[in-house]
Amino acid sequence: MSDPTFRAGFDLALETAINTALQYDPATRARLQPLDGRTLALDLTAPQIQCYLCLAGDRVYVRQQEDGGVTTRIGGSAISLVRLLKDPDATPAALGVSISGSSTLLAELQEILRDLDIDWEAPLAQLVGDIPAHTIGTVLRGASSWLSANLNRAPAAAAETISEEWQLTPPQAQFEAFVEDLAELSLATERLEARVHLLQAQFARREAE
Amino acid sequence: MKDRKTTHFGYQEVPVEEKAGRVAEVFHSVASRYDVMNDLMSGGIHRLWKRFTIELSGARPGQQILDIAGGTGDLTARFSRIVGASGQVVLADINASMLEVGRDRLIDRGIAGNVVPVQADAQHLPFPDNTFDCITIAFGLRNVTDKDLALRDMLRVLKAGGRLLVLEFSKPQSRLLEKIYDQYSFRLLPLMGKLVANDADSYRYLAESIRRHPNQETLKQMMVEAGFVECEFHNMTGGIVALHRGIKP
Repeated sequence: MSDPTFRAGFDLALETAINTALQYDPATRARLQPLDGRTLALDLTAPQIQCYLCLAGDRVYVRQQEDGGVTTRIGGSAISLVRLLKDPDATPAALGVSISGSSTLLAELQEILRDLDIDWEAPLAQLVGDIPAHTIGTVLRGASSWLSANLNRAPAAAAETISEEWQLTPPQAQFEAFVEDLAELSLATERLEARVHLLQAQFARREAE
Repeated sequence: MKDRKTTHFGYQEVPVEEKAGRVAEVFHSVASRYDVMNDLMSGGIHRLWKRFTIELSGARPGQQILDIAGGTGDLTARFSRIVGASGQVVLADINASMLEVGRDRLIDRGIAGNVVPVQADAQHLPFPDNTFDCITIAFGLRNVTDKDLALRDMLRVLKAGGRLLVLEFSKPQSRLLEKIYDQYSFRLLPLMGKLVANDADSYRYLAESIRRHPNQETLKQMMVEAGFVECEFHNMTGGIVALHRGIKP
């Protein structure tokens, strides 16, 4: 993206997307206003992009150059940064994200993004009307919650299928029992070894007498 | 008559004192359709060029900005939002028709209060020394008769540390792009001018004036000679347009 035209196009698209989304979430817009004048610098490593998110009123401006002060600078892969902003249990160290400057802005943005609730039905209603938009919205919300629930259950279900159905790996309980037996055997072996050493030492002493 | 100084007007040589009038005729003719034609000719990319110009301007709330050859007020509108109520943007253009269209358009968009329209010649700016934090001239310098004089006057009205940004058509960096661009400029552009603005000649002048404009390195050198420091340029869209930036020491 060395030609500034392409980069300006990317920034404009991102900025338009953010502000269009914010247009349909008045609560988030109101919460952004106290952050007016603050700048978040993003040093993305994958993909390698540097950009600045400047908060002005209830709008967000995306820039590739920023001469003014940066409030907070965060660096890491795009996926890590999204997880950091959305996942309440995520920590920067665990995700390999570096942070410099004020961490307050980051904490405030994390809180705002977690509560983000964009009313997608509003723009849809402008295109197709209220009732079709509500129907589509209900179907999409149902599909989204089904997908989200299934995605959350997916790792456990996959593990169960691999061990119970396909029997490619032992079940967890069996594996844990095996590990316990192994640990006990290991301790017993060590005790036996110590006993043998003791007996060897006693025999050696008797032979010497 | 032999000693009469001449300058270029597109590919024609005209007496120096005639050029401003000829350029004025072109812009009087295109003023009402200027924005439509800009979008059409550049495919909307001129908005991205201007966006990058704003970014490099480093404009801040409270600053004084001069938008020379501001035309229909694209840059002025954006600067007006940035400098806020405590700052001021002067929309300057030598052409009354362009200035009128720009002023009306800004008022229609609710942009007023911190914008002052001024009819001014870039070679003789009607402002005191050290007035502005930033000066921009977008797609205007090539129409100025004496560019060196204009650059020196811009330096005069800038505050120390202030920035000049010159956004202008320039020389494409690849031979292939240059050929495609030539075909587009000399065949398609006048045709579009004829169809949309009913004025093929003005758009032929546009293509010719771009070819006569100094290339990237020459313009950078002109800025250095005018007294600017830390001069640099950024090629955009393969060099079709270049953004030059210089700072007043």
